[in-house]
Amino acid sequence: MRTTVPVVIAFISGMIMVVGFFFNPERSFLGRVEEEVLQWVTIVGGFTLLLGVVSIVRVNSKVVKQKKAGWIFNLATLISVFAMAIPSMLPVTKTSNLGSVIYSIFPESWGSLFGTGTGSIYDWLFNYLDAPMMATMFAMLAFYIASAAYRAFRARNAEATLLLVTAVLVMLWRIPMGEAFLRLFSDNIPGYINSYIMNGVNVAVQRGIIIGAALGAASMSLRIMLGIERTYMGKG
Amino acid sequence: MNFWEKLSHIDRRWIYLLVAIAVTFPMLVVIRFPVELSPEAQKLYDAVESLPDSSVVFLTFDYYPSTLAETEPMSIAALKQMFRKDMKIITMTTIPLGGPSIAERVTRKVAEEYGKVYGEDFVNLGYKANYVAVLKGMGGAIETIYPADNTGTPLRELPLMQRVKNYSDIKFIYVVADNAIVDYWISIVNAQYGTPVGAGVTAVMAPKMYSFVESGQLVGLLGGMKGAAEYERLVKFEGTATRGMDAQSLVHLLIIFFVLVGNISFLAMRRSGKEARR
Repeated sequence: MRTTVPVVIAFISGMIMVVGFFFNPERSFLGRVEEEVLQWVTIVGGFTLLLGVVSIVRVNSKVVKQKKAGWIFNLATLISVFAMAIPSMLPVTKTSNLGSVIYSIFPESWGSLFGTGTGSIYDWLFNYLDAPMMATMFAMLAFYIASAAYRAFRARNAEATLLLVTAVLVMLWRIPMGEAFLRLFSDNIPGYINSYIMNGVNVAVQRGIIIGAALGAASMSLRIMLGIERTYMGKG
Repeated sequence: MNFWEKLSHIDRRWIYLLVAIAVTFPMLVVIRFPVELSPEAQKLYDAVESLPDSSVVFLTFDYYPSTLAETEPMSIAALKQMFRKDMKIITMTTIPLGGPSIAERVTRKVAEEYGKVYGEDFVNLGYKANYVAVLKGMGGAIETIYPADNTGTPLRELPLMQRVKNYSDIKFIYVVADNAIVDYWISIVNAQYGTPVGAGVTAVMAPKMYSFVESGQLVGLLGGMKGAAEYERLVKFEGTATRGMDAQSLVHLLIIFFVLVGNISFLAMRRSGKEARR
């Protein structure tokens, strides 16, 4: 039962999406069913986010309670989750039931602090803490890439040399200074890099990868629909 | 330890210091080389320009704050071009972490410059979970997926959304993304509903997207900060991408220099090793 029901649900859901693709949602019953299922999917997706929050709270609060090594970071995670989530979920006006309770205690002008709009606590935390931290983490990659390029990007054999030469050419082509430098040799070089490397060799390889991945995804979907692939149920 | 060995074992902090100098130097001294246009950026610009004025278009903010340096200038340049043509813009995101906030902040700022009114000239749909279902579902009716906008206002109360039911009312989709969502805009929306799609993506993603430009599934492409700088040039304004090209140029040149020095020392050490074995 625990195996059969999920497989049947997966099969029916998959078939609705496959068959529904060929029907107009406005003019056919199957199309309307597909549209309905898609709404369900977004609702289920919302619940999975909630599940994620519950999981984060459970895992981190356990570590904080037991005061395991690095528990202070888990506490920071928990505080961050609630600091972002609670103000963003509070009503901004007193029109709702919860809003009427909140704004009978606090002044109505506090409404601008709640929700996700401009000037809210969520907005402030996002713009002045979250976004700069994420940008900083990503920007640090430049330092690691420079160090890695110096130590690991070696012309050890013909293939590596080809890769190295291509990479240098593309890196030069992607910057105004490099493009000006390439034009010193010939005005056509930037155009050749675009035509032969990016739109030529690169496109050929990328298409191979894209088609291969698409075929893999299609076969995996078919395996899930037919109940052959059951790892998503926690079974091998 | 000879010179080449010493060079190959140089402390990485020296490398970090040089990168830091390369990034900060252009803040003090403006170098500014002209940004050459790529055919892909020109195609994207032309596609938007060729749309009738007041067309309804989609602009997506499918990127995380980590890639703002590359992607946000694209969004700003696209908004300037669209508002200048009096287009009606619907923004949305498939990124839960900050996507709606970025869309809200950027769009309202540019809209203010052009005196555009929320609800009439632009609408922010915000975020909904499960992007495949969202993209597919909007083909039937946008309102079934987004009953309300980002602030909770029902779509039927917004004058712009009263004119828009689904993709058949959208003339163009401009995707700005730092992840694989572009594939889905192409395979679900462009392939199944025929709405033209153009994309601005991070430099890491751009090589993959060239195959979609070649096949005509993407009408044009912006790749990384250079692509954003190209679009700023096309839209005729100098934004952060144009200003950032100096820093990017120096860091690229520095990395090329590191690669060359690293390889020279590698070849010199290999030669001296061979000679020692003889």
